[in-house]
Amino acid sequence: MPDATEVAPIVEMRHIEKSFGAVRALRDVDLILYPGEILGLVGDNSAGKSTLMKILTGAYQRDSGEIMVAGRPVQFKSPHESRDVGIEMIYQDFALCGNMDVGQNIFLGRWPRKNMFVDRRRMYSEADRVLKRLKVDVNSVYQRVESLSGGRQQSVAIARAISFEPRVVILDEPTANLSVMATERLLETMLELKRHGVAQIIISHRLVDIFAVGDRVMVLKRGENVGDRYVKNTNEQEVLEIIVSGTRDSALTAKAARER
Amino acid sequence: MSLVSSAHSRPPSQLFGGWEVGLLILFVLLYLVGAFVNPTFFGSTEAFHAVLRDTSRVAIIAVGMTFVIINKDLDLSVGSTYGLVAVVFARLYAPNFLDLGVVPSLLFCVLLGAVIGLTNGLLVTVLKVPAFIATLTTLLIGRGFVLALTHGQAIYYPGKAHETFFFHLGETNVFGFNNQIAIFIIVAVVGAYVLAYTRWGYETFATGGNEQAALYSGIPTRWVRTRGYLISSLCATLAGLLSAAQDKGVTPLYGVSGELTVIASVIIGGASILGGRGRVAGSCLGAGLVVLIDKVLREGWPITRVVKIGDEEVTVNAVFSLPVGAVPVFLGLLLIIAVLIEPYLIQRQVAARFWAWLRALPAPPAYEIGGIAIEGVQTKGTMASDRALTASGLGKFLARRDALAIILTVLLWLVGLFLRPDYWWNLSNSFAILLNYTEVALITIGLTYVLAVGDIDLSVGAVLALAGSTTAYFLKVVGADPAAAIMMGLLAGVAAGSINAVVTVGFKLPAFVATLGMFYVARGLAAWFVAGQQLTGWPESFNLLGRKIHDILLHFQLSLPPGWVRAVAEVVSVQTLWMLLVAAIAGIALGYTPFGQKVYATGGNLRAAAYAGINTNRVRFIALLFSAFCATMAGIVNVAYFRSFNPVAGQFRELDAIASVIIGGGSIFGGYGTIIGSLAGAAVITLVRALLQLNVQGFTMPQHWINVFIGVILIVAVLIDIWVRQANIFGALRERRARRKLIASESAHA
Repeated sequence: MPDATEVAPIVEMRHIEKSFGAVRALRDVDLILYPGEILGLVGDNSAGKSTLMKILTGAYQRDSGEIMVAGRPVQFKSPHESRDVGIEMIYQDFALCGNMDVGQNIFLGRWPRKNMFVDRRRMYSEADRVLKRLKVDVNSVYQRVESLSGGRQQSVAIARAISFEPRVVILDEPTANLSVMATERLLETMLELKRHGVAQIIISHRLVDIFAVGDRVMVLKRGENVGDRYVKNTNEQEVLEIIVSGTRDSALTAKAARER
Repeated sequence: MSLVSSAHSRPPSQLFGGWEVGLLILFVLLYLVGAFVNPTFFGSTEAFHAVLRDTSRVAIIAVGMTFVIINKDLDLSVGSTYGLVAVVFARLYAPNFLDLGVVPSLLFCVLLGAVIGLTNGLLVTVLKVPAFIATLTTLLIGRGFVLALTHGQAIYYPGKAHETFFFHLGETNVFGFNNQIAIFIIVAVVGAYVLAYTRWGYETFATGGNEQAALYSGIPTRWVRTRGYLISSLCATLAGLLSAAQDKGVTPLYGVSGELTVIASVIIGGASILGGRGRVAGSCLGAGLVVLIDKVLREGWPITRVVKIGDEEVTVNAVFSLPVGAVPVFLGLLLIIAVLIEPYLIQRQVAARFWAWLRALPAPPAYEIGGIAIEGVQTKGTMASDRALTASGLGKFLARRDALAIILTVLLWLVGLFLRPDYWWNLSNSFAILLNYTEVALITIGLTYVLAVGDIDLSVGAVLALAGSTTAYFLKVVGADPAAAIMMGLLAGVAAGSINAVVTVGFKLPAFVATLGMFYVARGLAAWFVAGQQLTGWPESFNLLGRKIHDILLHFQLSLPPGWVRAVAEVVSVQTLWMLLVAAIAGIALGYTPFGQKVYATGGNLRAAAYAGINTNRVRFIALLFSAFCATMAGIVNVAYFRSFNPVAGQFRELDAIASVIIGGGSIFGGYGTIIGSLAGAAVITLVRALLQLNVQGFTMPQHWINVFIGVILIVAVLIDIWVRQANIFGALRERRARRKLIASESAHA
């Protein structure tokens, strides 16, 4: 990955606060993401991972703090607005329509049109192009999604995200519903995306996956940053220790940890 | 362990709660109102006794229905089970029929009730048919049997009924109250105890709250749900037998729209249509309330009318009462409103919060809403393989979802030709079939959209009647000109559709409840407008909407020269052309425009569609509105074609239309269906009806048997959709056989 000091970050979240009634879900959380970087976001249940990501996509509104995308401050009111600046989220259950075919799913909700009709030829040819670029094998763009295996459905969901030409892709527990083989393929796909310069955030319980492809790992605990490490300079043992017993005071930034 | 030490930590009562107290107060208030407006009827203790007696039967069924509704199911068949049991008992017991003894008759009736309950349970649990479709079909089949067994006549057997103890159950006992009330109290106490304190009850709540979780924790949810249907059906049987004991006879109208009364009772009693909540005490009080409302409406209230006789004005005492068939309007509305009670009043603790606000106390903490840990995983249709992509030739055709409809259309037509070669293919018969086809097809077009977005519209037949009735009323009674009358008809139908859409989409309730309510409201209103009569006699210019092209030309004094143009004009009528136009527009919109894609996406995966930026509420709203609009057009055309309005217009059309869509490739779970397929499905249904009405060597099938038949077809179509199209049961069997063969050959080699 490029050296962090030279490239401008694509996403920067600073001092994010969020409360649900009496529960403080996020307290003064910072997140930084560079182009082409794969960031693993880990933590126990209710650590605030999903809340942080939902604030980034605009599904939730933050109470305070600021978000910069490519250096510009943003305030998303819905996921559609974050999509416009190039942030895509892939949901755990893929959010696809099983009754429709691959092409229709890739262009779900924004089918290309010719006059008042759907431009089917363009839809299928572009879907095919996106799938080729991703180097995933889906038999045919005319196949119904419900007849695909879980891994292939995941590929369609990723292809759909890619077709928006995003700069940031957020994957929510991407391997939770996948077989071992499909997980391998997914990790390859993620590296392929990285080669295209797309920054990715993975929310995952499986540290193995993050250590296989990730550049950096960030740990949240009870709504606070408790650590940030380059994958190169750490190991699963250390990350697990941070998840279980890390505190804000003992938190080190990734750079500080490298120079330790 | 002394955790439960203080007296305050007594567990809350599961038998009775604040809601029941409120219902009791409402019941008393309503009775006082009834006594005030109609003292002659409600003032007497006899009337109170009658209300309690009639409540008993409804409440007994409501006790059973409580189990079903808490299971997150629905049993629409109770009304017809109640009627059917009374009729079967009469057929067995009455001296002019089989003349059996009372014990074998009773045993057979109980057996019948158990069979109906088991059938419902098996259809819903093992065969996975949605509850409202399965039990709606049992309802209609049951009604068909009632008509067939009574031939539309009442059966009475007062002479023989003196002999046995059984008939005392329907009479007043030595303590001065009717025995039915005593039986009701026994049933209610047992039911309440079972639901609140036993394993059976706890399993019921678990199944209704989260079936998946219940299954994972080892509860046999299929048996729990089947048991619910059995209890409900046996309660209906008991109530039917009590009515037989009371009246010592039966009419074919017993139990008509009884399911409405019972379901409304249970829902008003605080049970949730979304499952997992409800109490027997609430259901019984709800039954009291609904029966009372029903009585107040039916008895009417006394008024004084000023009548002019010659030059003198005379005040006459009269009773204002609603016309025949109008009462379901109020009960249907009650159902729609009652369904909103649980999610919007009880779950949000509106009463408790208001009471706290009045006393300036802090509001009680709100329940956690919508925090279900394990949501049911979407399981629909995931097994269907894409045979269409790999198959070729005939296989490719068979893999189409509408293949069944097309094959059946051809086959049925050939059957007709075989049965009546002299008559079937000739022009007048084809024309008659085409006209029947037009009405079914027009409704089916709208319903295709509704099923494709994953909703259902049970009210299409009733909306057809409402639109026809409104148009006829304005033409005949008001004397409006045809254009204005058509506008009013359209307005009425679209208003009904809007209510369906608002309740379904706006209040987020299941479409089958909203449209079931509308089913009763629209049909009741249709009967009310025309006061149960057949209206006829208005300008012929309106009737042109239902005429053949040639007749229209003649009306304008034009005549076509003889030839093929004239031959076509003599068979094709304007409504058929209109239907084809609507079908073409709807078909292109569904198949080729982004809106059609949005419809399929919404029906396929509502949440994914919403994530993708599709306004799913708008799509569903438009679909429900369009369905009502198509039914409305069919209603107006119906009136024009018959030159009159008959209150039974459109009866069973919802059955025809749903069956058509599903035979034509639609799915009851949404996401599928094409206009071409649905048109072919409608052709199948029309041909089935035409074939059954065919006079073969002097034999014609009576109408009620035809409806039974169509009900069976609907269930079979749904089963084919679920098991063949979606679960691909034949493919799975083939695969298993192939695998076994492979193993066999391998072991032979080894």
